[in-house]
Amino acid sequence: MIVQSTYRRRWRMLAAWGVVALFVFPLYYWITTAFKNARDIFDRPPNVWVFEPTLKNFEEVFGISLGFLRQQEVLPGGGNFYMAPRLWDSIVVAIGSTTLSVMIATLAAYALSRLDFKNRHLFVGWVLSTRMMPPVAVAIPLFFIYKDVGLLDSYTGIILIHAVMNLPLAVLLMKSFFDDIPREIDESAIIDGASRWLIFRRVILPMAKGGIAATAVLCFIFSWTEFVFVLTLTQTGLKTVPVVSSSFVTSTGTAWGNMAALGAAAMIPAFIFILLVQKQLVRGLTLGSLKQ
Amino acid sequence: MSRTAAAAAEPSAYVSRRPEWLRLLLRPFSGDAAFPWLAPLIVMLLLFTIYPLIYNIWLSFHEYAPFRRQLEFVGLDNWRTLWQDTRFWGSLGVTFTYFFFVLTVQLVLGMAIALLLDSDEPGFGLLRALLTLTLVIPPAITGMMFLLMQDSEFGVITYILESVGLLDGTQPILSTGSTALIGVMLADIWQWTPFMVLIFLAGLRSLPPEPFEAAMLDGASPFQIFRRITLPLMSKVIAVAVLIRGIDVFRMFDYVFVMTSGGPGTSTYVLSLYAWQQTFSFVKWGYGATISLVSLAIILIVANLFIKLAKVRW
Repeated sequence: MIVQSTYRRRWRMLAAWGVVALFVFPLYYWITTAFKNARDIFDRPPNVWVFEPTLKNFEEVFGISLGFLRQQEVLPGGGNFYMAPRLWDSIVVAIGSTTLSVMIATLAAYALSRLDFKNRHLFVGWVLSTRMMPPVAVAIPLFFIYKDVGLLDSYTGIILIHAVMNLPLAVLLMKSFFDDIPREIDESAIIDGASRWLIFRRVILPMAKGGIAATAVLCFIFSWTEFVFVLTLTQTGLKTVPVVSSSFVTSTGTAWGNMAALGAAAMIPAFIFILLVQKQLVRGLTLGSLKQ
Repeated sequence: MSRTAAAAAEPSAYVSRRPEWLRLLLRPFSGDAAFPWLAPLIVMLLLFTIYPLIYNIWLSFHEYAPFRRQLEFVGLDNWRTLWQDTRFWGSLGVTFTYFFFVLTVQLVLGMAIALLLDSDEPGFGLLRALLTLTLVIPPAITGMMFLLMQDSEFGVITYILESVGLLDGTQPILSTGSTALIGVMLADIWQWTPFMVLIFLAGLRSLPPEPFEAAMLDGASPFQIFRRITLPLMSKVIAVAVLIRGIDVFRMFDYVFVMTSGGPGTSTYVLSLYAWQQTFSFVKWGYGATISLVSLAIILIVANLFIKLAKVRW
């Protein structure tokens, strides 16, 4: 009996590692591509495990010199993809929109969690419906609206729409964190004569710190990875990393190494962040509907 | 905690230190009125979702006239064109094919992997953490990853499929009409199956142990236990996962945009991409808006109906 169950446990372990390896492989392949020379990338059959590592792709993408780049090497795309400013664009947009989203959402979430008002249920439905809108159906009219008011191709324009895109998530998630804090705390403070703002600022916010951090991390990630709005609402002024990646596809070929280098660099902050919020991840992914 | 309690006990001492303008600004937030708290959210949603929606509806009754270089009122022309546009109906078909196929695979695969990973043994925590990584990759870059791996000459997926005899080397996955959509689906399934896995895992791990123990004592088979106990207990979790994933699968744009641009022919034209291209590539501003309105209407109706029927609550 015991022997059999160890046997089954081993198989289960093996199957679990096998399945996860299948999901990690594309990631491994992409990240190693960032460290490959063109010769190894275009090899056939594909060169998966053994290759001569190089930092050349990163040198080209970020305009730094580490001694791997030789002048005579000609890239499929013709070279010169200087992407450091695009990484900066991504950071500015993500931080700006996250700050805005979280500020607006904590206020609204407090009301949704603690204050009674007419049609509260409908209001939550409206917020949720915003999350359902296809980005294209917002991006098309917004392009013309932005053109009229001069927000096209500006940080402000992208930060605003990314903030709005993240609002349903932020509001519902913050509401679920506020709901976890017992209402008795508010009530006793009110009896002591505290105003709603004071309770919010001195009691609720400190107690929901972890929840606010998790919300901010998720907002950051969704802004960092967003594609449609940046694609539609910018031209030359700014471009975030996901959108600028497509510029590596040129008529003479695709600079896979450079693209992979930029992609890998863009993944690192997101990976770190997601590992920080493991505990709240499922709650975040389900907009606060499921608690772990 | 003691500091907060002290502050709550002496509100007046605290408030008086504020400058006048701040006190005026915060005054609406002192009572039980909800509106001041909600006002910034309402303003943002009105400006950036309701106004664009109205603008979009207005746009659908207009069309850009290239020769006169201006928008002109065309009445219901765009809606009539839509009704007769075989490419629109085709893209609707592609969208629904993609939707049902991807969602079903992710649901089944996600549940299977979640059951496999539902264990307290050492190492399984690491496996769960590794699975979260795919969720934070920009979908556009996932598209590029699968573009590289499915390249007809040096792609690793192409190579594997050719060596097991599933491909004969003459039909590149992403530029053959019959397989292109599958190639795109593969990227979506790879990136978002872990989403289902993680949600189901959280659900499985919070289930009470008693019903399972009772069923085992009664000699129920693993399949019976899954069918009669696990699934019913997990119904709410499954509903939420399907709702959120379903919304995103239906409005998918990034993968097709970077991987196939709708091609070859029209085999991977989803509604979002068709709308976007009509507006921005073919300068049919009004028509693109019309198509995007259709996709908006479908998703709002279906998702809200699902919320009602499945009794999902927030």
